[in-house]
Amino acid sequence: MSNLIHIKAFGMVAEKIGKESLSLENPGTTEALKNLLFQNYPELRSLKFTLAVNKKLTPGDIELEEGMEIALLPPFSGG
Amino acid sequence: MEKERKPKNIFVQGPISSEKIAQSIANHASKTDIGGHSIFLGQIRADEKPEGKVVAIDYTAYEEMALEKAFEIREAIFAKYPLTCMHIYHSLGEIKVGEICLFVFTSSKHRKAAMQACDELVERIKAELPIWGKEILDTEGHVWKVNT
Repeated sequence: MSNLIHIKAFGMVAEKIGKESLSLENPGTTEALKNLLFQNYPELRSLKFTLAVNKKLTPGDIELEEGMEIALLPPFSGG
Repeated sequence: MEKERKPKNIFVQGPISSEKIAQSIANHASKTDIGGHSIFLGQIRADEKPEGKVVAIDYTAYEEMALEKAFEIREAIFAKYPLTCMHIYHSLGEIKVGEICLFVFTSSKHRKAAMQACDELVERIKAELPIWGKEILDTEGHVWKVNT
């Protein structure tokens, strides 16, 4: 059974990983997701970014569920 | 009955024209309880970077999240200050030096509320909205804008 989550990348993070979106098998939690991303894209380790789960900033480790949208957000620089 | 407020689109593709700003001011002529407006305009600066000179900024955003957050900020500012009106416009795409990329417009009966609300809005927009500026350089490279 598929249990996919959807990743969106922006700004410098999108540039580093070379894409703006991807779908992954759900690794369970946001911490596990970060580790998986660091394995797949080692260049992310040197970047500062925060996670938004379903458009909300998430402090700490969060359980991920099928279909969630997780955004990788480098520091904001609007205006 | 109080009017229900809903998230409004704040994004404009390309630069914000002086005609749009003038029209926005003119639109308030019929609201005769207003005694003061405050306007902030963000303009693209030809910054000198070690890697080259900035010729434009290419803005991208996580639009759905930015609109939700802008709505939350808007509600908080309306609750804090006695405002008549509030408008926020932010550019997306490539904006050249000298062009306007941010237009924040607040109106109230008296000037202080309009000015303080405008100032606080600009600070919160820059700090809290998921928007990114890629600074395009005259050397054909780019650097990512950092907000201070």
